[in-house]
Amino acid sequence: MRDEQAEGSGVAAGSDDPEGRLLIAYAAGDPVAARQLVAALGPRAFGQALRMLSDRAEAEDVVQEALVRLWRIAPEWRSGEARVSTWLYRVTANLCTDRLRRRRGVALDAVDEPPDPTPGPAAVMQEASRTRALSDALAQLPERQAQAVTLRHLEGLSNPEIGAVMGISAEAVESLTARGKRALAAILAGRRAELGYDDD
Amino acid sequence: MDEAGLDALFASARGAAAKPSDDFLARRVATAEAMQPAPVAAPVAPRRGGWMRLLGGWPALSGMAAATVAGFWIGVAPPAGLTTLAAEWTGQTVDVGLYGEDDLLAILEG
Repeated sequence: MRDEQAEGSGVAAGSDDPEGRLLIAYAAGDPVAARQLVAALGPRAFGQALRMLSDRAEAEDVVQEALVRLWRIAPEWRSGEARVSTWLYRVTANLCTDRLRRRRGVALDAVDEPPDPTPGPAAVMQEASRTRALSDALAQLPERQAQAVTLRHLEGLSNPEIGAVMGISAEAVESLTARGKRALAAILAGRRAELGYDDD
Repeated sequence: MDEAGLDALFASARGAAAKPSDDFLARRVATAEAMQPAPVAAPVAPRRGGWMRLLGGWPALSGMAAATVAGFWIGVAPPAGLTTLAAEWTGQTVDVGLYGEDDLLAILEG
């Protein structure tokens, strides 16, 4: 397991990190801080995990583990050292790439239909197939490339923000993202029609 | 797949419904509360009379007051025999007048 606390401190929080203040309040025993933190962080981390993994059960497992780690480090959290959101993006991305790594070796064509797809029109199935195909393609990438690509193109973070999450420079993020996109395009080559884009 | 296809794929993933269930969030809150450290007791501001408790309260203070009065009285009017006892212990005694060489009563009497 990576030691997320030992990695780069990320974006300085300054005084504008309400989640950091909530986390300090949580550690001090504030009875409402836990609920407020889960409300603020849970959906965000879940969205990140689901977009990377395209699997609700796995995304829930990741968020559960990430939040447990957050509660554990709460007593040592210091205001101004890092933003909670930056820390959580990092931990969630790491946990997701750990799970994506386990998918390697499974050929893309051998992947079953998305688990537990929402019943509905064919378009919904097509959407689920697309996101699952993307997730499985991400699993074939080197972990750092997969993280940079997802933080940039799925989470919409800027290069400096991604650099803070990953502990690297914005230039390194640019390079990782570019290589990741090229690799993804190669992995998904020939699947455009299969994924339904020729019909758009 | 070309750049446009990849961007379309990213857009699909971004647009996918990605909300956790209320039950899932409720369980995360329960876990957080179970792992939450106990509230830190706020430091108690010192109240008036804190120094008195430090010395042992009223019983100790009454004893100290009695000892102070007794010591002062012994200094003003030493009991008979104390001067002799002190001379035996220390080898000598010295009388020091509180009002110097002048006898105030004699001055008042003119």
